[in-house]
This record gives sequence, C-alpha cells and structure tokens, in this order.
Amino acid sequence: MKILIVDDSRSMRMILKRMLAGLGYTDVAEAEHGGDALGKMGDFVPELALVDWNMPEMNGLDFIKAVREKREYDRVKLMIVTSESSPRIVYEALKAGADEYAMKPITSEIMDDKMQLLGLS
Amino acid sequence: MDDGELDEVVNEFITESHENLDQLDQELVHLEHNQDPEVVARIFRTIHTIKGTSGFLGFGTLESVTHVGESLLSKLRDGAFPVTTEITSALLAMVDAVREILGSVAGDGSEGSLAYPELVVRLTQLNDGPAAPVEPEPVPVVAASEPAPLRAIAGGAAKKPRKRAPRTLPVVTVSTAKDDSGVLVETESLDDQPVDTVGMLGLQLLEDHKISEDQLAAALRQQDDGDTRRLGEILVEANALSPKDVREGLKTQVEDRPTANETIRVDVSLLDDLMNLVGELVLARNQILQFTQNQGDPSFNATSQRLNLITTELQAGVMKTRMQPIENVWNKFPRVVRDLTIGCGKQARLEMEGKHTELDKTLLEAIKDPLTHLVRNAVDHGLETPQQRLAAGKPAEGVVRLGAYHEGGQVIIEISDDGAGIDAGVLRRKAVQKGLLTAEEAAGRSDRDMLNIIFQPGFSTAEVVSNISGRGVGMDVVKTNIEGIGGSVDVQTVLGRSTTFKVKIPLTLAIIPALVVTVSGDRYAIPQVSLLELVRLDVHHAQSGPNGQGGGGIEWIQGVPVHRLRGRLLPLVFLDEVFGGDQTTSAVADREAYNIVVVQADDHQFGLVVDEISDTAEIVVKPLGRLLKHVDAFAGATIMGDGRVALILDVMGIANHVGITSGERGAGRHAATNAEAADAALDRRRLLLFSLGDRRLGLPLEAVARLEEFRARDVEISNHRPVVQYRGEIMNLVDLGEELRIPRARVDGQPMQVVVYTESDVSVGLVVDEIFDIVEESFEVTQRSSVNGIQGTAVIQGLVTDVIDVRGILDAALPGLLARHTTNRTSEVAAA
Repeated sequence: MKILIVDDSRSMRMILKRMLAGLGYTDVAEAEHGGDALGKMGDFVPELALVDWNMPEMNGLDFIKAVREKREYDRVKLMIVTSESSPRIVYEALKAGADEYAMKPITSEIMDDKMQLLGLS
Repeated sequence: MDDGELDEVVNEFITESHENLDQLDQELVHLEHNQDPEVVARIFRTIHTIKGTSGFLGFGTLESVTHVGESLLSKLRDGAFPVTTEITSALLAMVDAVREILGSVAGDGSEGSLAYPELVVRLTQLNDGPAAPVEPEPVPVVAASEPAPLRAIAGGAAKKPRKRAPRTLPVVTVSTAKDDSGVLVETESLDDQPVDTVGMLGLQLLEDHKISEDQLAAALRQQDDGDTRRLGEILVEANALSPKDVREGLKTQVEDRPTANETIRVDVSLLDDLMNLVGELVLARNQILQFTQNQGDPSFNATSQRLNLITTELQAGVMKTRMQPIENVWNKFPRVVRDLTIGCGKQARLEMEGKHTELDKTLLEAIKDPLTHLVRNAVDHGLETPQQRLAAGKPAEGVVRLGAYHEGGQVIIEISDDGAGIDAGVLRRKAVQKGLLTAEEAAGRSDRDMLNIIFQPGFSTAEVVSNISGRGVGMDVVKTNIEGIGGSVDVQTVLGRSTTFKVKIPLTLAIIPALVVTVSGDRYAIPQVSLLELVRLDVHHAQSGPNGQGGGGIEWIQGVPVHRLRGRLLPLVFLDEVFGGDQTTSAVADREAYNIVVVQADDHQFGLVVDEISDTAEIVVKPLGRLLKHVDAFAGATIMGDGRVALILDVMGIANHVGITSGERGAGRHAATNAEAADAALDRRRLLLFSLGDRRLGLPLEAVARLEEFRARDVEISNHRPVVQYRGEIMNLVDLGEELRIPRARVDGQPMQVVVYTESDVSVGLVVDEIFDIVEESFEVTQRSSVNGIQGTAVIQGLVTDVIDVRGILDAALPGLLARHTTNRTSEVAAA
C-alpha cells in the first residue's frame, strides 16, 4: 500500500515512517508541506496520506481541500495527524473532507486501529 | 523501533529543533516591535512541532514547557492580546529552557533533572493576558528551580531516560540553496552515480527486505575485521544479493532523502580532515612545481601545470565548504541587544548590513565571543539612556550597527553605536588613577593613542561597574582573541556622536599568501596581510648626510635606524640582528643595497631589513613545535617547495620584541600639553634641546613633527603675522625668543631653524636659534616657573635647561588658532 506522509518536521516524518515500517508498510513517500505533497502525488498516488495540520506554504486544511477538489484522488484516504486538539479544528478537518483524525503522539496500535477503521488493513 | 533507530530519530529531532530555535530568538525580538501575524504563525509552528515530537519521544518536561508556550502563542495568533515585553521575555525564557533540555538530551539521552515550574506558572498566567503594569523587567533568567523529579511534571508519560553515548559533534549544513546558512556543495554527481553517501546502505537494503539482519550483521563484522571493500561488494560476493539490488538500494537511498538533492549534512570533522589533506596537497604541489623548474621535460611541465590548476581549484572548493555567513553569529544579537536594553533601561535598535558575508567556520566560532562582547559593550557603555539622548538632541532610541564586508583578502566587521563616544580625557584620568600611565605619559599621548588603552588588561571605563559588562575584563580579551586568529581590532570615536570598532580578520587560517624573504641564509615567510610595500635602497643613497636631507637614506635617531619614506619616518628593524645572525652583515656594514619590507602591525608601520626578497607563495600554516612556541617573533612554520622548513614571521610579535610603539605616530599627532601635565613632575621623557640667545631650552619631542630650515626671504606677512609656505599650506611662524622675551642671537644670512609643531592637522613653525640634540632621560623639574610658556627648569646633561610649554605659548601667540580649528573639525564631522 502506498502511503504519503505530509509533515514539515523531518524528525516527525522519520518517526511516522518507522512506525509504518513496523506495521509492514514500506511503500512510503514524504512531503514537507501541502504544496510539496500535491507535487509528489503527480506520480505517487497514495492510498493513504497522513497529514499534519500546521505546516508552512500550504497547511493541512488547504491540502485536504485541494485533494478533495480533484476527482482522480477520490480514492485517497486522508488522515489528519496533529497535536491540535481543539474541537473546532477536528470539525473543520472533517468538513473539508478528512477521513480520519489522529492525535499526536500516536502509538503504533492506534495507527493500526485507524487503518482498520479506514478499511485499509 | 529499537534503540538504535530511536537514537537516530532523537538526533534528528535535536538537530532540527536547534535549527528552528535559532530563528526563534530573532523572530521573537522582531515580534516585539512588529505585530506580524505571519511571524506569530511561524513561531507557533516551531513550538508546536517540538511539542508534538517530544510527545512521541517521551520527553515529558519538554512537552509540558512547550505546551503552555504553545497555548500562549495560539492566543497571540488569534489576536486575543498584543505581544508585550513581558510576554516576549517569558517566551524567550521558554526558548532557553527548551535549549537547555535539548542540551541535556544530546548529552546523556535524558531530559536531566531540571524542571521549570516557575516558567510554566509564568506562561500560564500570561495566558490570561498581560499583567496590567509592566515594570521594567530584569533580564529574563530561567528560574533555577529545585530539581523536581521528572515524572512529577511529565505525569508519568516520560519514558525511562535512556543511556546514550554523548553526541556532541557539530554538524554544518552544506547546501546549494542561496538563502540557506550552509554553502555550496554541488551534489549532482550523486544522481548520476549513486554512492553510499550516508553509510546507510545496509539499513536501506534491510528496509527493502533485500537482505536479512543476519546477512547484514555478518557483512558489517567482515568490515570491522579489516575488509576494506564496500558493503555492497561484500554482500554480492556472499551471494546475499545481486549487483542490481545494490544499485537500486543506493538509488532509493539517494532519492529517499527529500533534501539530499539540494544539501547533504557533513560532519565538521570530515571537513577539517579534508582541509588538512588539501593543505598537504598544496605542499606537495609546491614541491613538484619546484622540481618541474629543474626539469626540461615539456610534457611533465604541462602535467604539473595542470596539477597546479586543479589543486588551486580544489583548495578553493574545500575552503568554500567551510565558509558560513556571518549571519550565523549575528542571529544571536537581536536577542542579546533586547535583553540588555531591558536590563539597563535603554532603547536600542540593531541594524545589520552584509550578513551574508562568509568566512571560515573556525574563524566564525573564534569571533563569536569577541563580537558578542563588543555588541554588549555598545549597548551597555556606548549608548546613553533615553533621557541623556533626548537632552543631547538625539532620538531616544539608539542604533547599534553591524557591518561586514570583504576587503583585500580580509573580512572587516564593524560594530558601531551612535552613543556618547569615548572621551579621551576620561580615559587619561582613569589610566592615571589605575596607575597604568603616569600623568605625564597620559598627557603626552594623542587622543588616538589614548583610545587604545581600553584594550589594556585591567582597564574599564564604566563609571559604575554593571553586572552586564564592564567587569574590568573584556576588551583586552577581545583583542587577544582576535589577534589570536591573525586579526586586529581598532576603535574610532567621535565624542558625543559615535564609537566604531573595526575588526579585521583573515578569510582563512590554514593556507595564506606570504612573501618569502632570506635573512642570514635562512628563509622566512611574511604573511601578505601585514605587507604594505617593498623598498630597495641603493647603498649611495643609504649613506646620506647625518641631517637626513639626502632624501631616501637610512638615518639614525637616538640609535634607532629610520628611513624617511615619503616624508614619514619609518623605523627599521634589521632582522639579522633580531635573530642574532651574522653581525658583520648588519646595519651600516658594506651592503650594496637595503631591501626593506614595509609592514604594518596594529597602527605601527615599520621596515624589516632583509638580505633578499624571493617570491610570494601560498603557504600552509603549521603550528610551531614546543620549543619555539613561546618565541613571539614567529607565528608558525611552513614547508617550502624544496621540502625545507621556513618560519612564518609574526609581525606584531617582532614589533613588540623590538619595542616599536610610539614611533612617528606619537610625534606626528601629539595632542595638547594641557595644564594638568604641566603640573606633574616630569618623568623619563624625550626632549628636543635648543638654544635662544645664551639660554638652553627643551621642548617635549612629542610636540615635534619635523625640523625645518627656512630663509629669511621665504617669510611673508599675512594678517600682520609672519608666515611661510610649507607643504602647500600657509604656516604661521612663532618666534620663541619674542614670546618668551629672551633676546635671540640673530645671525643675518643664516637660514632660520624652525621646529614644526602639528596639532589636528594645523602646523605652526617655532623659530629657534640652534637645535642641539634629542635626549631621553629621567629628570625632575626642580623649579616651577611663573613665567608664561615655561613649565619649569631642570638639569639635563648637567646643564640648566628651561622646559617650555608649547601649547601655552601658542595659545598666547595665536589665540584661538588651535582651539578654533578643533571646533571647525567637529562641526565638519557633524555636518558629514
């Protein structure tokens, strides 16, 4: 399964990548922000994108909106992974078209659960 | 994740966080003055990221500190209340705390025993908006609290601190991105030809499930046991995988790193090693070039020319990788200035120019502390309080300006403030008070000379010793540190307007251009930065008349050989004498010509007399051995093209060694002999002895710019006063006999003897009868004089001599000339 990590922090990407590898997902690409991710999705269409909320250039919300505008990405599942906890943000994200919402710090078990909820594993 | 992987993540986290924090200091200070929503968003993001990641990694303290900071920042972002000084201070304190914790994590893998309850409380309170009255706050200091147990704060979320090997190796970023802090390593080749850039092929292959852990472990063991082949080769030979897999592995690894195409991270120690190797290569190149000259083989010649070119380019390239913009150091200063201004109740703005100017990383680190000190000084001592500034008609907010630029193979860094300037009078008083100078010495020094006393150990001008700077240590350390890396520091000031420190440092230390000279058969290298010019004197010129009218010879002033170079006296140092070489070749002995290397040490120019001037060369500086290390005349050693060693001269060390300190500068720009000085007893001083009629008089040599002769017909009358045309200007003549009411022994037809006195570019000619001698000895003014213009009487060389007060006489004879001129100059400066 192809997974795209969209996060502006190198170390966070590294953590998530390792976590996914532990769960058996190795076909993983990384992007530094929403704009970067949209570029990468030109030739790497993931089945799941883990999206940080707060990023420079293009934040998570705008990225989700941009992805949901394109029909060819209909099948891409979008999971917000953030430490933002305000209900307003959860609501905005889901309204914009996010499929799932996970709070940092996320554990390997929760990640696995969320995958199942999304019907991906 | 196992421990090894976790370490890697933690290291990445630390590096990344530090990069972001460095910007934060600046942005917070910026924010205080400009409520810029973009900046708030950026700051928020940084803290947010650190908080998020610390949660993953189990750094509870870090998480709790950044958590409250984050909530405060989110309020600011939403515009709940404006950014105040108090808030900025608290946020900066939080940044400090985060740094401290990260430092601890980098050290032993744990967060350490520090908790920050007070900081957390402070930030939490601020979450409700800024407190009403904002008192001038003390410089923010992270509350050094009792070491509360980590778990108490972390709420049990913290993992057990892991033991890790201390990891302190600094890392520089090398990149092609222009606005990035690191610089320029083209990495295109990585794409064409994958190589194991990060030594992590094994991990990559493991990640791709190409090999098993056991296979990898076996291969790594083989490498440890001395197999020098690459990991891929070993694995292929062990039939663990195909060559294609290796290629793919390497390729993915390169592609996988999102930033690898633009930048790579390189250990500084690796760059150091490369620099050393390039140094050795330069030496080898020099030897081969020397060898080539003795060979007639044209093809060998062409090859070594090519080697020459490539080496030069390689050297430039490697040096470039070590270059970093001075911005990396300056970035800390907005915070420094801000904290200081709050601490001492001043207002200051920091301006920077040329922050992209690059210099060697080692040098950058070496100048960090001295520069910080100078910036602190500028705020603490340089700038006045807002009240004082307003009273002086300046804006309440002072300006500290940093400038950096390249000039002649050096980097010049200027730190200036528009404060009160440095009062040479105050310096004189202080220097005497502290016993660094006698009153006479102080009076005899020019303002410019006096300024340099701030660099002397134990000298501090702060009226009140503040806790910020001015602890009596500092400027001397600044000077020592800067000179230690082959640089120099100089200060200029305009009273009431500004003070500027000018720091000059070489671009790099390792390989420098130098002039090679020969003295008594040995070769020495003189660093190019100290060189001013080369002068060759033919022996006929050199042995000119004793009165030095020969225009270009060697003269003797009190046993010191000097050369008159374009009208200025240049002290000469015979290097063979300094080095104790063959005495017969020295000084006035039968040389056909004198080769003089004119050098500059600090403010002093002097000439080094050498036997032969060979050539310029790029030399690699090698440290001196233990036995020669304490010899201050040498800065190091180098290996010449023929493989022999040459010592590198330390021009400053030689100047100190032979005692070139005052020279022509002191004499040329002597300041007023003021009333204080006249009162003080005369210590060991230099006097020019002359006669008026049958009286024997002396005047301080510092007051003497030149000795001249004029004919009676040269004298013209202007404004009822005798004047002569002198060096394109009109110079007033003062007849000392008339002024002191001493009848002169006038001999018609003989040229007039004139002592030229210069102050602030104004020259006055003092007419005397006969000039005898210059003496330097201790004497005492036995009798104070009540006669105007005479300081007192002393016994010199067994004869009664009146010592005159030049400034007093001139003020009486030409009222206002010197003072008026000084005022004019000041207003010119003001206008400019």
